[in-house]
Amino acid sequence: MAIFGNLNHMSLGDLLPLLSVQDGALEIFNLEQHPRVTLYFNGGLLHCLYVSGRPAEPLQARGIVSQLVAAKRGSFEFVPGARVRRCPQPLGWPLDQLLLTTVTVQDEIQGLERSLPHPDTIFAMTQDRAPSDQRLLDFWQRAGALLQQGASARELARRLGMPLEHARYYLLKLRQLELLAPVRARRALARKASVASRLLHSLKRHFFGDRQAWNH
Amino acid sequence: MEPLKVVVSGPVGAGKSTLIRTLSETEIVDTDARASEAIGKELTTVAMDYGTLRLDGQLLYLFGTPGQERFDFMWDVLTEGALGMVLLVRGDRPQDFPQARRQLDYLLSQRPVPYVVGVTRQDQPPVWSPAEVALYLGQPSERVVGLNATEPRSAASPLVRLLELMLEADTP
Repeated sequence: MAIFGNLNHMSLGDLLPLLSVQDGALEIFNLEQHPRVTLYFNGGLLHCLYVSGRPAEPLQARGIVSQLVAAKRGSFEFVPGARVRRCPQPLGWPLDQLLLTTVTVQDEIQGLERSLPHPDTIFAMTQDRAPSDQRLLDFWQRAGALLQQGASARELARRLGMPLEHARYYLLKLRQLELLAPVRARRALARKASVASRLLHSLKRHFFGDRQAWNH
Repeated sequence: MEPLKVVVSGPVGAGKSTLIRTLSETEIVDTDARASEAIGKELTTVAMDYGTLRLDGQLLYLFGTPGQERFDFMWDVLTEGALGMVLLVRGDRPQDFPQARRQLDYLLSQRPVPYVVGVTRQDQPPVWSPAEVALYLGQPSERVVGLNATEPRSAASPLVRLLELMLEADTP
């Protein structure tokens, strides 16, 4: 049996159930985002994921799987029995749950599009308390050092090798848990109080005469 | 005296052009174009609105930013060096609040600009109150004012609050 084809015709979501009963490696190439991704399966688990010849850590692997599920371009070929050479952080993700989780995140991102923060808004930690959700915890642990200083989704995506939309999603979720808050730029040029005072009096005279402002 | 700049920002249809038209002493320069996507109105600002206000010899430039996010580079250009910013949001369109929050968080994380939030359509209930919008945006209530952008005194009230807050911030 040879499992090969193109993600344009058969999505990763269709492939995973096939592979959950086999051990081996799924090679995916000609992708838009990555030159080559290899997924190693063992006993119904995604054991390890390699991108461009290097093992991915869990946060990065989650992002890549999500991209693969949504990919419209890319050729694949399954190599039965292939084993991973080295896997410093084994993933051990059950394939059925992986698909469910990934699709849920993708769906959620689409549903939250209007609420996701701007890619360049800088966020910083407000608490040391770690989130209990495993996906958020992965992100929290990887991004912790950057978020202590303050970082944007764009910077996090670049530094952590994850999709920008995922970084925006995690920032939103952590903000909702009040573990993060947007950073305010520091005041560089303080306007003199005299300017504000002069304008304020003038503005009140111009629009209100002696009367109080509408909202006061 | 060097002219000062006030930026009026906010989502599409928040009332930015209306506010500037109401406050400006000169005919406003607008860059409205036919909307290329369904945004709830036929014309929308694509570069900026521009009006002026002279207060005891001090010239104030009033710049309105485009509401659509694909013009977000203009937000940066226009807020640089601004005296302050008024971010407007329509109180009767809660679906626009996430975008307003995204704009506000973004701009404040990039520029140290004094700001207030104006909640328009206060004269057309049902409408969110300024205090309710402040809660949503995570802002202190004193930074959020209600207004009717078509009425001059009401339209000026965010500027009054902005200057008051600037004065308070500079008070030791």
